[in-house]
Formats: sequence, structure tokens, C-alpha cells
Amino acid sequence: MSDLRKEVETFLYREAALLDGGALRDWLALFRDDATYWVPAGTGDYDPREHVSIIHDDLAMLSKRIERLYSGHAYAQVPASRTHRAVSNVEVRQDGDGVVHVDCVTLIVELVRHRQTLNSARTHYRLHREGEGWRIGFKRVNLLRSDEALEATAFLL
Amino acid sequence: MKRPLDQLIRRDAIHRDVYCDPEIFELEMARIFDHTWVFLAHESEIPAPGDYKTTHIGRHPIIVNRNDEGRIGAFINRCRHRGPTVCRNELGNAKFFRCPYHAWTYDNSGNLVAVPMPQGYGADFQKDELGLAAVARVKSYAGFIFGNMSAQGPSLEEHLGGVTRFLDAYVATSPVGEIDVYKGYQKCAYNGNWKFQLENGVDPYHVGALHASAVTPEALAIYRQGKGAVIAMDGHGVTDHTDWGPMPVDASLSGGFNLVIFPNLIVLRSQIRTVRPIAVDRTEILTSVVRLKGVDDDINVRRMRDQEFEFGAAGTFFADDLDIFERTQDGLSSNAVEWAVFARGLDREELRNGYMTGFMSDETQHRGMYANWLKMMLANAPAEQPQAAE
Repeated sequence: MSDLRKEVETFLYREAALLDGGALRDWLALFRDDATYWVPAGTGDYDPREHVSIIHDDLAMLSKRIERLYSGHAYAQVPASRTHRAVSNVEVRQDGDGVVHVDCVTLIVELVRHRQTLNSARTHYRLHREGEGWRIGFKRVNLLRSDEALEATAFLL
Repeated sequence: MKRPLDQLIRRDAIHRDVYCDPEIFELEMARIFDHTWVFLAHESEIPAPGDYKTTHIGRHPIIVNRNDEGRIGAFINRCRHRGPTVCRNELGNAKFFRCPYHAWTYDNSGNLVAVPMPQGYGADFQKDELGLAAVARVKSYAGFIFGNMSAQGPSLEEHLGGVTRFLDAYVATSPVGEIDVYKGYQKCAYNGNWKFQLENGVDPYHVGALHASAVTPEALAIYRQGKGAVIAMDGHGVTDHTDWGPMPVDASLSGGFNLVIFPNLIVLRSQIRTVRPIAVDRTEILTSVVRLKGVDDDINVRRMRDQEFEFGAAGTFFADDLDIFERTQDGLSSNAVEWAVFARGLDREELRNGYMTGFMSDETQHRGMYANWLKMMLANAPAEQPQAAE
């Protein structure tokens, strides 16, 4: 395994652990200030200025979304979803100096309202080298169920 | 059915059976959804000849489309031969609908135009009587397409009543008086009764409570000023905040109105929501986002981003609505308490412009919807099943 892929996988495992552990402010700190967090509706093969998405947040929106979850009054997350994430099939493509594009499959098992839901996604990242680590410039989560009617999905994907 | 229909709706309360009894749900499908104007699509979802969308009227799978001449029609999505749906896509363009099973083929006006090996049917086989079953009445108002399974009853404009004025104003939010919808939908579901969503679409009372974590302090202050009104309007629900300003073009909570057009359409801010009842305790919601023609692209996109942030299954507002609908179904499943209270504003509502009108946080609009619900449930009873037999 290439050192780069190993390094990226370590980063993705850490991101998954932060989300599974509910450390959402720490997770947010993984993103660059100009980052986009996108959960497309449908295939995602579209311009988000021409088509409705499930989520299309800039960092200010994502930050508001997360602070709300800490308020104790985000009732769809009281009690919060418990999740297990598995990250697999990681492919890394270098794009110039200090930028990599990552594609992977993310399996998210969510338990909320006494129901267990399995969400599968193809997830794409643009990661930027910052110092010794990476920061997320772009994250797109293409849910397998992206065109289905979803029940309350207030946890972060 | 446990109780007679007219003992389910009190002036100040709704009986839990209205939300929990599967027999009531069956009656709603037969007496409401088969007898009234049900929203099918916005015209801009099917702009060109041949364009179609599949949807539902109650339990009936429906194709709403334009034929080759561009005329809008709606059909039961069911092959007249053995019954499969003939169209399996959500949206598309087709000159013909061909059932894959035995290749019976219909044109986009619903006519049966081809049957393989027709000689196998006798001389009395009437191809022209075996077209796709048409929805009895299909009509648009201000670009909103409705279908009615019944040929009898009020016209669409009579059904909409005073709400037509609000639909006109909604479209007039565009400086050129035209709207269309963005491609794509937000699709949501919950394990609860469909009427929770109708109540919630015109329910300012809950905003400061359930949505305390999402609503801005400025918007909440406006809500609590006592401005605005709730209106029971011809069986539909309206929250009218136009005394703060007209429907805003830029993204903001102030001004405008929310419309719940019984039984399945909600129009508010930049969204058109279609409510689909699936079972007494299961509902799906399809939301389109409106684009205002003649408005700068950046403003329209900002409206769409705000809509996505607050609504849809992940929305900072709507996720909590979807959750509370499930909690409501859970609580109402207990028969230890029979009634849900809808008494707010009973002592202060008044007739204004011919419509019962209440303060912003009142439940006048809900009482109007349920009075209409009961009227439809009683009026559309088949003659062979008189009320006394229930």
C-alpha cells in the first residue's frame, strides 16, 4: 500500500471516529474555511445551482447546523443517533501540490428512535495538505438512497 | 370503526381515531382523495409536449403528462390488460407508454394504439374502450395542476375558494409574474398520519417551541409581536403574515404566507410540498423548490440553499418536524387519552372578510380544515352505506 493512501485512510478513520463519537466541533475543525459539505438529492451528477440537494452547506451553515445539535433542543437528535461507520474501497488521486482527491465507500449504521438504518454512500473528498496533516476542502456524500424518501436525518453523514 | 364520524370532530378537539384508525384511513382514501381536487404537479415540471411525471392520488398511481399537442392530462398508471404500471420513471418524455408485460401500447393521450397479435381477441374486442383510465377532471390554477377522480362536485376554482388570491400573490412574487421549479426534489417520510403535516404547515404556535434551536431571535420576535393572522379559508389553512410585508423575494422569514391546500398541497416560502398518505401511520412528502423568473440567479440560488438548510429530511427545522410527527403517532397510540386539543383562539376568533380569522398562534385554521374533513367524510359516503349503518 502506498504511503499516501495509508495516510489518507488514517485521516478518514479519524474523521469517522469523530463523527461516531459525536465530537462534531472537532469534526468541523477538519474543514477549511472555504469548504463545501454536499449531500446531493439523486445522482449528484449535476450543478447544485440548477438542482435541489439534500444538504449543500458552506462552512458557516455547517457550523450553525452543528451548534444547533449541541443546543439540546434539536429534538430529532434527542437522544442523538448512535452510529458506526466503515470506510472502504479508498482510492486516492494526487492533484498538483498538496491536494488529493479521494473516493471511498462509507457504510453508516445509524440507530435512532429504536430503528437501525443502514446508509451506504460513495463519498468524495478534496483534501489539502496543511502542515503535517490534511484538511477537507470539499466533501460530497452520494447516498445510495439519495432519491428515496428519507426519515429525519439530522445527524451528520 | 369504533365511533361514528360525527363524534370524531369536536369544536375544540379531534379524536385520536382520526389519526390512528386504519378504517378511517380507508374512508379518507375513498371519500376525500377520490372526490376532491388533489395536487399533481407544477406545470414547469412537465413543460414540453410528451413530458410526464408519475405521482399518486390517494392510493392510485397516476401519470400526469402533456400529449403531443401539449395538453395536460392525467391517467391511472395501470395497464388495462393485466394491471402493471405502464410507466416506471418519476419524470420523462414519452410519445408512448408500453406495458413491458405483453406490450400493450398507449399513446400520450392515453389511447390504446397497439396490441400484439390482436387476432387472438374476438371480433367484439374494443380497443378504443381500453385506453388508460383517465382521471375524471384535470385542471390548472396559476400553474398548479390538480386532478379529481370524480366528475361531480365543485370546480377547481370553487374548491380553492379564497386561496386563489394567495396563489395569485405567490406567483406575483416574481417581478414578471412567473415561477418554475428547480430540477430535483427533497423527499421525506415519517411513520405518522398524513394530517400531522397538514396541521404543521400552518401552525405558527409551534415555531418558538419545537424550532427554538433553529429559528433566529429576530424571526421569533416577529412571531411574538401578535401580528399576522390564521385563517380558516374554504376548508384550507392560511397563515397570513402579509402585514409584515409581502412574500419576500430575498431569503428572509418576514412577510408572506403559508398555505395548506387540502388535502395534499403546501405552499410556503420557496417550496411546494406534496403530501402523500401511504397508511394511517405512514406518510411521504415531496418538495420542489421554486425559482422566481426575473430575479437574479444568485438570489434564487440563495433561496434554494436556505430551503435545503432548513427543510428536507436533514433540515434544521424539518428534521424536528418529522421527528415530532412520529412522537405524536406514538403518543396517540394510547387510548387512555382520547382527544387532541385544538382550542386556541376559540374565544377571540372572528369573521373577517367572510372567513373565520384568529391571532397568529391560534388554531382557527385547523378547526376549519377538520370541519371540512368531516363534511367530505359524511357527504361522500356511498348511498349503499348509509351513515346509520356505521
